[in-house]
Amino acid sequence: MDLANYKKVWKNQPEEKNKISALEIYKMTQSKSNSIVKWIFIIGLLEFVFWFALNYLGTKNGALEPYEKLNLINFIDNFNYFHYVVVVLFLILFYRNFSLISTVDDTKTLMKNILLVRKTVKWYVYYNLLNVVVFSIILNILIFNTPEGINILSGIDNESFNQEHMMSVFIIAQIVVIAIMILILWLFYYLLYGILLKKLNKNYKELTKLNEIS
Amino acid sequence: MQNELEIKFLNDFEKNQNIVHKICRIYTTNQDEHNDLFQEITIQVWTNYSKFRGEAKFSTWMYRVALNTAISLFRKSKRRIKTQDFSTVSYKIEYVDYDNTKDLQLNALYKGIRGLNDIEKALMFLYLEDKPYKEIAETLGITEVNARVKMNRTKEKLKKILNP
Repeated sequence: MDLANYKKVWKNQPEEKNKISALEIYKMTQSKSNSIVKWIFIIGLLEFVFWFALNYLGTKNGALEPYEKLNLINFIDNFNYFHYVVVVLFLILFYRNFSLISTVDDTKTLMKNILLVRKTVKWYVYYNLLNVVVFSIILNILIFNTPEGINILSGIDNESFNQEHMMSVFIIAQIVVIAIMILILWLFYYLLYGILLKKLNKNYKELTKLNEIS
Repeated sequence: MQNELEIKFLNDFEKNQNIVHKICRIYTTNQDEHNDLFQEITIQVWTNYSKFRGEAKFSTWMYRVALNTAISLFRKSKRRIKTQDFSTVSYKIEYVDYDNTKDLQLNALYKGIRGLNDIEKALMFLYLEDKPYKEIAETLGITEVNARVKMNRTKEKLKKILNP
């Protein structure tokens, strides 16, 4: 049987037996959506809160006391103001891109806009990682350029410690911590968004591929 | 005002629900998922209903929102299994049983379409619903030429599935 005949079969198919009543439809409109977009929005917001809190707690939790002795507070404050401005800009971008999402658009545009929201959050995460790295590097340079810098910071006031040795341990420890952090985050995002966007990515690729066939 | 809009929506949606049921049948494999997708489409159509200005037919507009939901937004949720479901045979009945229709050809057609990928499903669905290529292209966001090429390939693929 060819497709034209199947088309007739399709046209003559009986109406759905389990018709949904207007009351049930009304009830459905009152229930909560479980769409991918909703989850991307929630997870995106949580990420903003998470990174912001991490940054905020890191500077407010008494961790700064040694830096006061090193006269680095001004630098840290300025760095934080800059950070807050960037976070606000990201949030604006996040909402703007989110508001672009509309199921009334064509499928390809819709998918593109969903992925754009995801990208905004991705860049926000990258920015935060970069922030941590750049901040650490500048701070380290400043500390090493301060006489007795490491001793003040580590609370060890012992001349017998080899300064050079301390410095290497200090740097290696920081690199290891940052590397582990990035690895854990990468794995986390890979799983989280990988699962959430698997279908969307596949379908988007399929549609983009179509542009290459003619 | 809100009430008026709601009543109009309920009326429009109820009348055209067959379209949604057909889409649900294509994109899901059992009654639970069917109900989930139906509900998500209802929510999406309703949230966007105020944007529907009546330039197009309601059904035409609904095709787009419903297909978009099925292709881009719908997540198959792992349903919590209620204890009573375990004892009943109705739990996760496959569509073949659920259809319970004598029309084998229709069942074969649905089964065949389910073997296509999400985009091909949309193309085939719009073809079966007799939509012009211009509308198909606009719905998916591709050019008309691409829609034709892809449609021909999809038809071939479906033919192979239906007549192995």
